[in-house]
Order: sequence, then structure tokens, then C-alpha cells
Amino acid sequence: MNLDFLTIDVGTILFTLINTLLIFLAFKFILFKRVDAILAKRQEEVDATYTAADDALASANSDKEQYAKAMAGAKEEAAQIVSRAEKTAQREGDAILEQARTEAQAVREKATLDTEREKVQARTALQGEITNLAMELAEKIMEKEIDKTDHARLIDDFLEEIDSSEDGES
Amino acid sequence: MQISDFLRGSPDGIDVKGPRVVCSFDVFGVTINLTETVIISWAIILAVTLLLLWLTSGMKTKNISKRQAVAEWIVQTVYGMVESSMGKRWRNFAPYIGALFTFSILGSLVSMLGLRSVTADFNAPLTWALITFVLIHGTNIRTHGIGGYLKGYVDPIPVMLPINILSEIATPVSMSLRHFGNVVSGMVITSLLYFALSAATKAVGVAFLTIGIPAVLSLYFDLFSGFMQAFVFVMLTMAYISNADGREPEA
Repeated sequence: MNLDFLTIDVGTILFTLINTLLIFLAFKFILFKRVDAILAKRQEEVDATYTAADDALASANSDKEQYAKAMAGAKEEAAQIVSRAEKTAQREGDAILEQARTEAQAVREKATLDTEREKVQARTALQGEITNLAMELAEKIMEKEIDKTDHARLIDDFLEEIDSSEDGES
Repeated sequence: MQISDFLRGSPDGIDVKGPRVVCSFDVFGVTINLTETVIISWAIILAVTLLLLWLTSGMKTKNISKRQAVAEWIVQTVYGMVESSMGKRWRNFAPYIGALFTFSILGSLVSMLGLRSVTADFNAPLTWALITFVLIHGTNIRTHGIGGYLKGYVDPIPVMLPINILSEIATPVSMSLRHFGNVVSGMVITSLLYFALSAATKAVGVAFLTIGIPAVLSLYFDLFSGFMQAFVFVMLTMAYISNADGREPEA
């Protein structure tokens, strides 16, 4: 048995109403509910990722700042070290220079002393020579023996006179 | 009709019938018929439910499977449709629109499996049109209040009252008849075509006419028309309800 081609049938309407409700429930509680849940979850994850990225960026920035600060500190420290080293070097150099000067002075003094001593020695030797020479000369001139010691004293006196007059001049 | 009838030409001409009644029973004196339409609807519901369960099983937030992509695409598309024609306020309406669209399009497309279209039974589009009718008036009353709703019938002048009432009644009638008419006319034309082609086959004696040509026409009458009518029906439903809401759809 078939229904008429175009007929309004209460039973079919009721069943179709129930069927439409069923398919609606299937859509709402299977498809939409599940997909909405997964979309919300994904959104949450995206948000979390963004937050994490922001945090990482902030931490990187603070690290950078700290690094820059540390770098500036290091530069200052380096400058200090260099200036301290310069001062030390200056001081040591000065000390070395001073010591050298002192030593040189000592050497020069010693040399002066030596020269003086040698001069004295030479003069003494020369006095002896001159005395002998004068005595021989006098012996030859006078052709006679004279008291060597008297003459030696006379010559020495004479030389001393010369010496003292030289000292007075110099 | 059987395949052999098509090849030989139908012996008993053309007979377009309503849906077959599987069984009928009396409830408080009213005859309730369980027809082909309802049985096929159940099959559609079962198929859709299983399909949705399959599509939405094992969903993840990352590295999604193809079937999850399909499920998300469906949901997003329906949300997009509802929001663009009704506004964000009606977002919760999306599951009904999705369900209605699916029921309508599958109800038309079952004809491609050789079954009788659900939508070729006037009662199916009529039921949906009645649901739309109730929603229209419910929305109108909810937004404007019962007084504002009744006042709408005498706008702009009281003389318009019968015309306004008629226009309200015309809405579900036109919606259901449009849907039913399109699908059933496709069904009738396809039957006529089969008859004509099988008659021609009988005359020529070669079976080639019944192969190919019906497939091309079926493409239009079943696939295109089925999709088109489902789309028109849900678009009209959304437009009417949104219109009854009266408020401007927010961005």
C-alpha cells in the first residue's frame, strides 16, 4: 500500500519531527560539542604558547640588559686595571731610574776619588823623582858631596811651597 | 519496475506513487503510518551518527588527521554561514542548521542509491517548514513581546491584517512546496525519461540509451537540485528567523 502522491500524513510528520530532533542532537552533541571542545583547547594551547613566548622574550631582554651592564662594568674594571698598571709601571720606572742615578753618582764619586788618589800618588812619586833629580843636578853642579838629607828637606819645602801656591791659585 | 523492464521498456507504463506504507497502527483513533520515508530517515540518521562519531573520534589539537580536518571544516563552515546571515548572537543555532542541511541533502540524495527520496514525501519538508514557522513566531514574540508581535499584524494599517496573516501562512507553505516540488519533479522527470529511453531501446533493440543519459540527468536532478534545495531551505530558515528577531545582527 502506498500513500497518495501528495498527502499530509500526521504519522510521517510526527516521525519526521522526532527524526529531525535526533539528527539535531547527533550534530549538537557529537560533532559540534567535540569540535568546539577541541577548538577551545587549541586556542588555550595557542594562548599558552604566546604567553610562554612573551615570557621568554622578557627573560631574554633582561638577560641582555644584565649582559650590557656586566660589559660596562668590565670595561670600567679594565680601564682601572690599565691605569693602575700604568701607575705601577711609572713608579717602578721612576725607582729604577732613581737607583740608576744613585748608582751612577756612586760610580762617579768613586771615580773622582780614584782619580784624586792617583793624582796624589803621582804627585808623591813625581816629588820623589824631582827631589832625586834636583839632588843629582846639584851634586853635578857643585861637584861636591852635600848632605843629602838637608837638601832633600830643602827641596821638599820648596815643592810644598809650590803646591800650596798652586792650591791657592786653583 | 526492474532492470529488465528498463531494457525492454516498461510494460505497465508510468506510475508515480507516494511513499509505501510499511505498517500502520491506531493511536487514540488516529491512524499512524510508518512509511518508507521514515524508515529511510532512520537509516540516514544512523549513517550520519556513525559518520559523525567516526569523524570526531581521536581528535587532537596538533597534527590533525584528515577526518578531523573535515569535521572542523564542517563546523567552521556552518558557524560561518549562521554568523554571516544571522549574526554572532545566533551562533548556537548552527547545529540545527547543520542537521537540517544534512538531513535535507541526504534525504534527496538517497535517490541515487535507488531509494525513494525522503524529501519527495511532502510531509518531510512540511515538518521542517513548520519547525521554521514555530521558530519565526517564537523569535518574534521573544523579541517584541506578545503585544508587539500582535501589533505587527496591523502594520502599517489595520486593513493589512488578512494580508499579513496570509503572508505568514504562505511562508511555510511556499518553503515546503518549493522543496518538495523540486525533488519530486526531478523524480517524475527521471521516471519519464526511463520510460522514454526504455521505449526507444525497445524500438531500436539496443540497450545503449538507458546507460549514460540518465546518469547525466541524475547529476542535475539528484545532486545539484538536492544540494540547491537544501541550501535554499536553510538560507530561508535563517533569513526568516533573523528577520523575525528584528535586531541588527552585530558584527
